Amino acid sequence: MTATLDVAAGQQPDSPPASWKETMAVFLARQIRDTDRICSGAHTEISFAATMLAQKMHAPNLKLQLGGGAFLCNVVGVEVDELPKTSVDYRIMGWAEAYFEHHDTFNHYGPPGGRDYYEATDKWRSTNKYFFADKFFVGGIQVDRHGNTNLIGAGEKGKFSFRGPGSVGINDVTTVRDAFVFMTAHDKQRFVDQADYVSMPGPKTYREKDLAGNGPQFIVSPRCVFDFSGPDQTAALAGIFPGHSEEEVAENTGWEIVRSPHFVELEPPSAAELHILRTAIDRKGVLRK
Amino acid sequence: MSRGAQPLQAGPIELPDGPPPRREVVSTARDVVAQISDGQAVAIGGFVTANHPMPLVRELIRQGKKNLTIIGSATGGLEIDLLLGAGVVGKLIAPYCGAELYAPLGNCFRTMVEKEQVELWESSEYILYAGLQAKAMGQEFMAWRGGIGTSIVDLNPDLKVFTSPLGDGKEYVAVPAISPDWAFLHVGWADSYGNGQHPGARFGDRIMARAADRVALTVERLVSNAHIRRNPIMTSVPYADAVVVAPYGSHPYASHAFYAEDGEHIEAYVRATAGFRKGDRSGLDAYLDKYVFGPESHDDYLDLVGGRTLRALEAEYEHLTLGRHSVDVFGSDG
Repeated sequence: MTATLDVAAGQQPDSPPASWKETMAVFLARQIRDTDRICSGAHTEISFAATMLAQKMHAPNLKLQLGGGAFLCNVVGVEVDELPKTSVDYRIMGWAEAYFEHHDTFNHYGPPGGRDYYEATDKWRSTNKYFFADKFFVGGIQVDRHGNTNLIGAGEKGKFSFRGPGSVGINDVTTVRDAFVFMTAHDKQRFVDQADYVSMPGPKTYREKDLAGNGPQFIVSPRCVFDFSGPDQTAALAGIFPGHSEEEVAENTGWEIVRSPHFVELEPPSAAELHILRTAIDRKGVLRK
Repeated sequence: MSRGAQPLQAGPIELPDGPPPRREVVSTARDVVAQISDGQAVAIGGFVTANHPMPLVRELIRQGKKNLTIIGSATGGLEIDLLLGAGVVGKLIAPYCGAELYAPLGNCFRTMVEKEQVELWESSEYILYAGLQAKAMGQEFMAWRGGIGTSIVDLNPDLKVFTSPLGDGKEYVAVPAISPDWAFLHVGWADSYGNGQHPGARFGDRIMARAADRVALTVERLVSNAHIRRNPIMTSVPYADAVVVAPYGSHPYASHAFYAEDGEHIEAYVRATAGFRKGDRSGLDAYLDKYVFGPESHDDYLDLVGGRTLRALEAEYEHLTLGRHSVDVFGSDG
């Protein structure tokens, strides 16, 4: 994915336009609420940047678990010199207030939505307060129209034509309220009608099997965002990033595009968002490489 | 969108007044306990004669809570006996309630179980933990073999025996999730954001915190966030919902790294409740009047106990541990 977005309007002079990784990180940060609990999942520079950006910009109460080493971090007022290279990067400890053994991360630590759970009770009535996190970012080598996400591989059962990293823990986080599947490339090899293997099932299976969480609620790619408001809880186009088009999404997706009733125009990163991202989180420009 | 999913935020989040502040959770025993309704389930941390959140325990009695489900530690102490005698407990989930050599069993516990004045959820140490673990993981039950072949499963109809689906014919106990509405824990210190640290033994406190809906800490000291960040690995209970500052808050029980249990006080409690076995609650009532209903505040309670006694308990702890386990609480930046 090479599209560099023309979002210079409103930016400071000489500031380069937002890269696709920066645009995704800013988009994900905007979806994070001040009262959320988030487990960033395995290391990616995009989700790490998104969560830290949210905490610094609008969500200082975000309960943030960074990395598989299970540090609970708060980076408000904390200087972040650069994005960590792995999920056990020792610098994460410098941003942390608490630590869990990794196996302990699968246990509850507070209700979804934090205090909101108790103060806006109508909103949470149907949710299981024992959710492991409110949001979780799930990577995939394939995702299909039902939101089934595959990290195992491609090819027939037992005969891999391509072996992926394995399911990591994305099958285990059944008590996450809303998972965001994020794909760092968007083409027909990755956005398929039916995934070869399933590491994390989509929302339909979540309901059929009565798993506690909601399962995937969005798929985010460098081109666009899907929700699951399509027929039979299938993916529907919920937003397009600036510089991309519905036609382009359709050409690169292995299922027929339908629009979500919740479709919105996604705004580019603002000057303020980019400024904090570049000066207080990603000083070395990892997201621009 | 399915249940709970939020609408997409398409543009920047507008915050004209800047970001909200970090939420501080320092509270009082009165305000914490006021949030508890009759019939709710409260887990009480610590172990036998150590680390009990006594200002919260006494406040449950002062506010006259009724019909609570009390979840004791795997070796519950006489703080549970006190709650039983004071009449706030409807159901007790605790494998044990006593103080070992001080009292093999609590007098109120034994009497009330024998007279069926409290519902006892028959359990064992790991049956308790299995239930808490199930809740912490958001699962309905945990499978456990301890209890097979015992009377525990006969005495507790909530424990279901099933045969392993793996085909080896072995029987397991399905231990249903145990669901505390609150966990009350006593830790050494916490910051105002609710990050609590145990400088000594943690017993079963962490699993109680993970199973509970909400957590309130009593702390010997309130420390700065910088103090917590010096050693984040020590933060055993992050994100507590309330922090109640209560120096000597475990008295008459020990607080690891700070002071020993007050043996004389515990023995006096055991003597005071001896009559309870024969239906005479005057000794218990006198104890409740003096130590629970009498003091208006935790400071008043400490005045009643007396500075001399408290300093002696600190010295005893130092002596018993040869100073090895006392902690430099404040450090350089506390």
